Amino acid sequence: MNASATSTTTKPESTGRPAATPRGAARTARSGRPRAGRSGWTAFVLLTAPVLIGLGIFKYVAIGWSFLLSLSDARGTIALGHWVGLDNYRTLLSDQAFRDSLVQILLFTAFIVPVTFAVSLGLALLVHRIRRGRALFRTTFLIPAAVSYVAASLLWKMSLFNGLPAGIANTIGGWFGAEPVAWLQSTSPPLYWIVLVTLRLWLQVGFYMVLFLAGLQAIPKELYEAAALDGATGRRLLTGVTLPMLRNTSVAVLMLLFIAAFQAFDEFYNLFNSGQSGTGTAPVQTPLVHLYNTAMGSQNYGIGSAGAFVLTALIVGVTLIQGRFTGFGRSGE
Amino acid sequence: MSARRAELSRRGFLTGSLLVAAGTVLTTACSTDPTGGSSSGAKTTLNVWYHAYGETGTQQAVLRYATAFTKANPDIAVKVTWVPGDYSAKVNATLLTDAAPDVFEIGDFSEAMVRRGQIAALDDVYGSARSDFNANAISSVTVDGKLYGVKMIDDVIMLYYRKSVLAKAGITPPTTFDGLAAAAKALTTSKNKGLFVGNDGIGDSASNAVWSNGGDLVTPEGKVAFGSPRALEAVTALKRLHDDKSLLLGFTTDWWDPAAFTQGVVPMQWCGLWAMPAVQDALGDDFGVIPWPAFKAGGTPVVRVGGWTECVNAKSRNLAAAKKFAQWLWVEQSSLQRDFAESYGFHVPPRKSVAATAEKLSTGTAKETVVLAEKYGKHNPGTWDTAISSAFNAAAAKITGGEGDPAALLADAAKKAQSEIDKQLGR
Repeated sequence: MNASATSTTTKPESTGRPAATPRGAARTARSGRPRAGRSGWTAFVLLTAPVLIGLGIFKYVAIGWSFLLSLSDARGTIALGHWVGLDNYRTLLSDQAFRDSLVQILLFTAFIVPVTFAVSLGLALLVHRIRRGRALFRTTFLIPAAVSYVAASLLWKMSLFNGLPAGIANTIGGWFGAEPVAWLQSTSPPLYWIVLVTLRLWLQVGFYMVLFLAGLQAIPKELYEAAALDGATGRRLLTGVTLPMLRNTSVAVLMLLFIAAFQAFDEFYNLFNSGQSGTGTAPVQTPLVHLYNTAMGSQNYGIGSAGAFVLTALIVGVTLIQGRFTGFGRSGE
Repeated sequence: MSARRAELSRRGFLTGSLLVAAGTVLTTACSTDPTGGSSSGAKTTLNVWYHAYGETGTQQAVLRYATAFTKANPDIAVKVTWVPGDYSAKVNATLLTDAAPDVFEIGDFSEAMVRRGQIAALDDVYGSARSDFNANAISSVTVDGKLYGVKMIDDVIMLYYRKSVLAKAGITPPTTFDGLAAAAKALTTSKNKGLFVGNDGIGDSASNAVWSNGGDLVTPEGKVAFGSPRALEAVTALKRLHDDKSLLLGFTTDWWDPAAFTQGVVPMQWCGLWAMPAVQDALGDDFGVIPWPAFKAGGTPVVRVGGWTECVNAKSRNLAAAKKFAQWLWVEQSSLQRDFAESYGFHVPPRKSVAATAEKLSTGTAKETVVLAEKYGKHNPGTWDTAISSAFNAAAAKITGGEGDPAALLADAAKKAQSEIDKQLGR
């Protein structure tokens, strides 16, 4: 089932993506648009040039430069010239610390993506169903998304999960007779994962819930009415109508979640960093934290850039594989 | 949910834009001017960076020094930038750009910056005062016979202990690592831990362990020495502190802040001389200082001497003025050096004549600390950069956490560190 089957418009651009606004007259009225003349082109160039030039200089030149850096020995400089071929990639991939960080980020992703997905979808379904106070709940769940990772990390590290008996987590544990523990430093069992996962869930769930809500609101009521006439209720409605209609939203959410997970940095850096001494002793380092320390700490910009490209390749790879399985980017048919 | 969405009206958009613009103007107008010296009539403006010192009054002090410098040199204005957060990363990143500071301080001196041509030789800045700097201050900034910085302050880092708490438990200040571990365990209660070395449970303890067993981190010739059997023995022994659960972990501030000690959360903490005024305020006379104890009886106790060094950006467009500033403040102005060393946090002035006249450092516990530093002071090797310290401390963290074979972990870290140093030295 897909959106185009129920769309009342004939324009193909409206398919494949749930629209947040109701379909109808407003949309069809636009179809008789006049062809852009010379002045239209001037306006187009004038309006897009700033963004395109900005993108070109600050994105693509920077990315290209970074790629060239990854092929040169750049210590304490970002000047090119000292070419070393693929040496940086070789050094990086043979570095146990970087390989460990790749394994850790894969484990983290494998856990955080399904959990965030399930929790935000569940919340969206619940919030969508209630009749009163929907705005209140929606806002309540969305507010954490506005908190920065740095602020949340400090909150988690200093008040919720500090190692003191007076820390909130330890106090609650104390009610049930648990010994106070150092949440971030305990490696057996690895309690720091609890801190990392709860933090990310708290920050992210609200945002993805809103995406799902938008998707839910775009499902036409007639579908439910038709299904109800056919005798579908409860679970059947969910699996037969709601979930299939949310496919496109789900695919987009999954992709965003994968990318966000692979790029994890802020909380891993801020929870384990303590000012001058860096994060060398942290029990877990994501690839980005490792690369930050390599580039910004040791000033080895060559290896730092090489790592950025390895990580990009990983993200692109996962996204492509995901697209293959879920059909992201393909329009309805 | 209503399908009708409030569209942004033209008037609303204009009002919003105006508010944003007005806000920008206001914040720009209200923000404090970071420029220390009056820039009227000045031909050059020096950009000078400091990391954010924690002690109250330090920022005002450096602004005052900058104003005084401009008064003495009307053609040079000084813009002081106070940098919070990850200072060394910010310095490193900015040094690649045109916005780089002309003069900046660095914590533990890094030879690599010299090899990369990032900081200028300052031999001519010292003049006849060179012999007045203590040996440590000179040797730590010397690379291939040239001086690449002026030591501003020596920071002595040692163990603070609560006299009353130890006396109550019948414990004398430990003189061996065994004694330290036993004391930390005995002082650990259900509410409090016995010792604080850092939130990660490592802090300086791994390098202290190596030194306290007669080992070395990196030799002056650039050979990694922390893979030695002595080093392995001492680092592996740290595991005992973790197994006993006598270390404070995950406190709200880290080891360089005395809060855990002054609030009575721990009776023993590894911290610096800079914190002594705060400790005195909180605890009066009820504290003492000792070095990190010798690993075995007859071994070497350790006190770490860190500190900050003024460097001049080799690529500065105002090189002469920058050198002049470093010279004026950290070589010539002994009264300002004394002010900086004892009026806010306590530090030891690297100039012997200034240290001798620093009153607050010549009595009581502060004096004891200065004596300890002279006797047992160790400073990190000049090759000790983030890559190397991270490799070493990460291995120590795994060893104390009981993950993997200690010998293999330390050997791996030593190998990695050696290849880094070889590259640093261009070998």
